[in-house]
Amino acid sequence: MHLQGKSGIGLRAQHHAEIIARLPPVGWFEAHSENYFANGGIHREQLLRIRQHYEISLHGVGLSLGSTDPMNRDHLRALSRLVEAVEPVFVSEHLSWGSVGGTYLNDLLPLPYTDEALRHLVARVCQVQDALGREILIENISSYLRYRCHEVPEWEFLSALAHESGCALLLDVNNVYVNAMNHGFDPYSFLQGVPRRAVREIHLAGHTVTHVDGREVRIDTHGTHVADEVWRLYSAALHRFGPIPTLIEWDTDIPDLNVLEAEATRAACMLEAVHAVAA
Amino acid sequence: MLSLRELQRHFAAGLLETTDELATEWIRADGISPSARLAIYRNNLHAGFLKTLTLEFPVIRRLVGEDYFRQLSLAFLARHPSRSGDLHHVGAPFSDFLSEQFTATEFLYLADVARLEWACQECLVAESSEPLDPQTLRRIPADAYGELRFTLRRASRLVHSSFPVMRIWEVNQPDAVTDEIVDLRSGPDHLLVMRSPSLELRRIQVGDFHLLTKFAEGKTLDSAIEAVLAADSQFDLGAALRRCIGLGVLAQVTPK
Repeated sequence: MHLQGKSGIGLRAQHHAEIIARLPPVGWFEAHSENYFANGGIHREQLLRIRQHYEISLHGVGLSLGSTDPMNRDHLRALSRLVEAVEPVFVSEHLSWGSVGGTYLNDLLPLPYTDEALRHLVARVCQVQDALGREILIENISSYLRYRCHEVPEWEFLSALAHESGCALLLDVNNVYVNAMNHGFDPYSFLQGVPRRAVREIHLAGHTVTHVDGREVRIDTHGTHVADEVWRLYSAALHRFGPIPTLIEWDTDIPDLNVLEAEATRAACMLEAVHAVAA
Repeated sequence: MLSLRELQRHFAAGLLETTDELATEWIRADGISPSARLAIYRNNLHAGFLKTLTLEFPVIRRLVGEDYFRQLSLAFLARHPSRSGDLHHVGAPFSDFLSEQFTATEFLYLADVARLEWACQECLVAESSEPLDPQTLRRIPADAYGELRFTLRRASRLVHSSFPVMRIWEVNQPDAVTDEIVDLRSGPDHLLVMRSPSLELRRIQVGDFHLLTKFAEGKTLDSAIEAVLAADSQFDLGAALRRCIGLGVLAQVTPK
């Protein structure tokens, strides 16, 4: 795969013009699909210009895959049109739900990791892959609660989903760490539990620590630097999965592009080291 | 055990209706109360909704202030929760919501300002299209004119208000250097909002506004003129059409 060993940056509208003017040395850019659903406008035009110089991956946040509502066909059609226009290197969505009864909460809400949810997700992922005519990547999310119903560990659920639907995985190393801290499991067990060949892309992002009921809770804000503990976990992930294309996400309090480039360069150096060992 | 659907219904109700007394039945405590866990998600929902409205209605936010805007955002969410996985659609009913909120009050103009801001948003993301080539009209025989139908550029919107919404919009732009107090009685405004290629707002003549409104409704030139003449017997169609072509708002013309 030609992005192997490369690092990319999450694309934000305020950086569009600078990227087009300067063409910084970045492996690729990842766009939030819904930000470019509109048929026109400056942002979409800029995305297509950036596409002339870089690979683009499309990362969805609103398909509500895990919802028990019927699939939102308008949303899927809009995604399909965008995929045709952009010809992305990856198309990804989340292991989450965000709507019920036609009302959207516009968030990545956790699913219970039950047999019922797995059957539902497998069917929905297959439906999307059939509609788009390509493999999609499913990403593990951060969560702040767990359900009372019997659940298998998240990594078992993800692995079964990949196995049964034929989807690939987008491993968010920050989310693994956040959940490990929030729910008290060993983040390295997560990495060990995910099948080697299923991971196509890695995400890295910053999180914040807050306190709820006197207990520490880590919130996935995408608004700061990648934490040191997450870099360490990333290093372990690279040793297990190889030099998987790695993306820096920063979606709130968005800094100058060069701050993101520095984070991406740090990831690139680690990728390079793994590459050298693998070769 | 709750089915997946029941669980999602409980979760959504917990966030939107803030009825979380049942939360302990399906959320594990693990050292933090289930309601507090649910509140993390409720805060995310509120923050995301507020952020979107802030981006889409910066003038309203500036007019009412940050705190009241936050209250409006929560009341709006309760009445009009999102119906799309694409947050960009949430602002569509905001103007109607404000109009209900402020019926028969001195703040009714806010609804019209919101309608203008939403028109700007729609123009910003609409498909680009070329303006009508005036030569096209010259090639059409005069006796076929009555049945012509004009379309407007996709990135254009017509906004009418009995308030001076354009001036209110202008003095509340981030780069505006004025402490002008706009006289609310200095309306009405008949506005054309268009992206071509950057966003422009302009006042147009009342007759032109009505003519373009009829075109946007898909009326033929004859029935458009009839409607406009009923309101203004002095209306000069030739001059109005020339102005509309000059504005670049017309996109296409189709005979019959």
